[in-house]
Amino acid sequence: MSNIRNFCIIAHIDHGKSTLADRLIQHCGGVEDRKFRDQILDSMDIERERGITIKSNTITLEYTAKDGKTYKLNLIDTPGHVDFSHEVRRSLMSCEGALLLVDASQGVEAQTVANLYLALEYDLDLVPVINKIDLPAADIDRVKDEIESDLGLDPDDVVCCSAKQAQGIEEILEAIVQKLPAPEQDADASPRALVFDAQYDAYRGVVLYCRVKEGSLRAGQTIRFMNSGKEYTLEEVGTLHLAREPQKELGSGEVGYLLAGIKTVRDVAIGDTLTDAANPASEPLPGYKEAKPVVFSSIYPMTSDEYPELVKALDKLVLNDAALTFDKDSSAALGYGFRCGFLGLLHLEVVQERLQREYGLSLLLSAPSVRYHVTLENGSEISVDNPSYYPDPSTIAGAEEPCIRGSVMIPERYIGTVMELCRERRGENIQFNYLAQGRVELTAELPLAEVLFDFYDRLKSSTQGYGSFDYEVLDYRPTDLVKIDILVNGEPVDALAQLAHRDRARMRALHYCDRLSENIPKHQFKIAIQGAIGGKIIARSNIAALRKDVTAKCYGGDITRKRKLLEKQKEGKKRMKTVGMVDIPQKAFVAVLKTDTDS
Amino acid sequence: MSDRHAGLYLHVPFCARVCPYCDFAVRTGNAAKRRAYVESLLAEIDLFGEYPCTFDTVYFGGGTPSCLEPSDLKRIVERVRERFAMVDEPWIFLEANPEDVTPERAGAWKRIGVRTVSLGIQSFDLDELAFLGRQHTVEQARDSIRIVQDTGFHTVSIDLIYGLPGQSTDAWRRRLDSAIETAPDHLACYQLTIHDGTRFALLEKRGELIQLPEAGQASAFRATHEHLNAAGYTGYEVSAFAGAEEYRSRHNQKYWNHTPYLGLGPSAHSFDGRKRWWNLRKTDPWQQAIERGAPPIDNEETLSSRDLLLETLMTGLRTYRGVDCAAAKQRFDTDLLATNKELVERLRANGLIKLHRDRVIPTIDGLAVADSLAGMFRF
Repeated sequence: MSNIRNFCIIAHIDHGKSTLADRLIQHCGGVEDRKFRDQILDSMDIERERGITIKSNTITLEYTAKDGKTYKLNLIDTPGHVDFSHEVRRSLMSCEGALLLVDASQGVEAQTVANLYLALEYDLDLVPVINKIDLPAADIDRVKDEIESDLGLDPDDVVCCSAKQAQGIEEILEAIVQKLPAPEQDADASPRALVFDAQYDAYRGVVLYCRVKEGSLRAGQTIRFMNSGKEYTLEEVGTLHLAREPQKELGSGEVGYLLAGIKTVRDVAIGDTLTDAANPASEPLPGYKEAKPVVFSSIYPMTSDEYPELVKALDKLVLNDAALTFDKDSSAALGYGFRCGFLGLLHLEVVQERLQREYGLSLLLSAPSVRYHVTLENGSEISVDNPSYYPDPSTIAGAEEPCIRGSVMIPERYIGTVMELCRERRGENIQFNYLAQGRVELTAELPLAEVLFDFYDRLKSSTQGYGSFDYEVLDYRPTDLVKIDILVNGEPVDALAQLAHRDRARMRALHYCDRLSENIPKHQFKIAIQGAIGGKIIARSNIAALRKDVTAKCYGGDITRKRKLLEKQKEGKKRMKTVGMVDIPQKAFVAVLKTDTDS
Repeated sequence: MSDRHAGLYLHVPFCARVCPYCDFAVRTGNAAKRRAYVESLLAEIDLFGEYPCTFDTVYFGGGTPSCLEPSDLKRIVERVRERFAMVDEPWIFLEANPEDVTPERAGAWKRIGVRTVSLGIQSFDLDELAFLGRQHTVEQARDSIRIVQDTGFHTVSIDLIYGLPGQSTDAWRRRLDSAIETAPDHLACYQLTIHDGTRFALLEKRGELIQLPEAGQASAFRATHEHLNAAGYTGYEVSAFAGAEEYRSRHNQKYWNHTPYLGLGPSAHSFDGRKRWWNLRKTDPWQQAIERGAPPIDNEETLSSRDLLLETLMTGLRTYRGVDCAAAKQRFDTDLLATNKELVERLRANGLIKLHRDRVIPTIDGLAVADSLAGMFRF
């Protein structure tokens, strides 16, 4: 059975991965032309709109090669964004090879390198592919140089294509067949299959995507998840074309789906190994790393009556997003909500957008935070990702924050601005590495917290869009952590509290005070808005008292009108949050929490 | 139902010209239109069923009631006295424009039983009068005051408008001095409000009229109360000032303390203690309804206890008497002071209210923000 190839496509965002996948599918007749729509593997609206892949998808292609044999090519689509590298990992673990896609005009970017390292970590064979050769700005020779010098791959192996124009697709398919290895197969061993993804289907429950390493799986068999120990009976097995196609069995080396009446993806540990409950393998497959949330934010519904809908929406969302974590949270100012953990800022944005778009909710999100390690005077260590649970500072011996190694690829002329940006964000150990053609890879060790606040936007704008960014979490390092409280007329607004490095606290606090004072209407009394660390005020702004608000005339007819106006105001106030007798409209929270600019 | 005497309001919608700031139900009309209106009003008086209270005030408002012939006013007064239960000598109020005032007319008004004449003076400055679209001169204004004073009405009241674009607080104090010089018994000083649908609103939208900033308005408001109080005119409401207790408007105070009132004529509002209803706003449909023999009523509402309490707060906080929380507790079974302890303390600390026994009494600064004060109370 050497006619199977399991492969994926790895690329920097926007280098044309989904389009290439589309062409490969079309070429192999995986779908009729008239049913074809662009980015066919990207099924979520957000994926299509943003041109990114969030969930990986899988499809089996049948390709008759020049040697006359028909091959089963299992294409495992992978997300391109750093936040979703756990999904990339799972995909890579199911493959023997990968197409490494590089844009003919942009060349090698930060994520190309990061993905290459990931692929090498899993011993994948690689076929470098230069895409978009039809672009006027395409510079194939330069990009080949970069592939050789930046990535260390043989430029003679490069296949050139234009996925958009459907050029070079045949060559890519041939390279997959010839250069990527067939899976090692062992049909007789106890079955071991790697679960690399799971999706929720409203009719059938959880659909497991798996790669069978050894043995085979068939309907009726009782399977066991080797790590969790849970057992299920397989209802159906099959391969993935554009629709699921049931098969008698999934054999060694094959990729396909399983249905086993599993209710939610929470019940499934992605990356777990499946085996036959009656004839179990002795060891699970190695190498799986759990996706851990690194960014935390509290999500509140705009109005408290939307809370039950938020609960429902999150429950549904996690059916399909095992990386999202959430726990009940509550705020005196914003009511009940959830403290959620995300893989990164993009993940946070995607979840927020899906909740708003697919479930029609209007939401408020608190300032994103990282998870700090806090050591107390009594020697115990706690993790804090929510300012509400920040311990009394007098009991704290020290704090550590997660640091990352950020990697930025830029044209040489931007070195100065990017170094400046990194220093401003408490970057250390800044190094650069000259690549081909006047390009530089700049690496710096940065606190993750500093990257959460508009770092990527600043990078993009200060490099005119040329800078690409990728990061990996390094370790925890000591930090001078403080909790900033925002006080309205002396009372703290819990939802606006945040943890920050002492050096950055004043700027953050000022930003919050200014935004609030712009968005809270005048009251009958002066309002003081303050930013404080403990008892110490570090920022302040005022809202002057309302001095004139009275209708001159109030006779028979005006009384009804005025009362109705008052009732409307009272109704509006119900939707406001009252802190220190000050009514804070939702728009003030939105204004404060939405724009996280430091400037 | 109330055992207090009710007030009767009669709306006269005619004006020689519509002022650019006015959003009342007014129209221009010739003598024939006015005669037809009088007939319709008499018909409405006949049409109206039983009103449960005895009236002790009759108020001709508008519009410009002084543009009606005294003989017509007389017919209307006679008709309401025949038709409704009324005290022997009801207090009759008449709004009048300075240009309509002559010794003869004033004498006729007095004979009808008018006791308070309220003159639409608006300003003692010619440029301001022109800006406000008024037809009279400063001279006419002074003459009209003198005439009604000489005629011997019990109360002579004058209306003034302040807070005009560009008007400094000092300039306004000078206008007040001019007014005090004429020695009226009562003043109504209205701060200019731009209402939707008026000519001023249009000018403001076009950027041709710029309202005084809030600080200027606040300063003028305070100056009005301080200046008039110092001159012996007690401000007993946001816009009303009386030289002695007897000059306070017996009629208008009914609106502010939930005394029943009946309104006849286009757009007039009525209240019987629980229900409020209002007539069709425009004269023609109002007239047509009466011709058909149908009540010319546009709509009505029944006030819940909560509504009444909110109105009690809203109107009470506009007056120097404030809100009697003990009375409100008895009437609505709601202890405003107890449920709003923190708020009352805060408002007091900020100098917006005073507490006198169980009364919440607005200060001058409190009156200046009375509209939003009522909305802050929880109940």
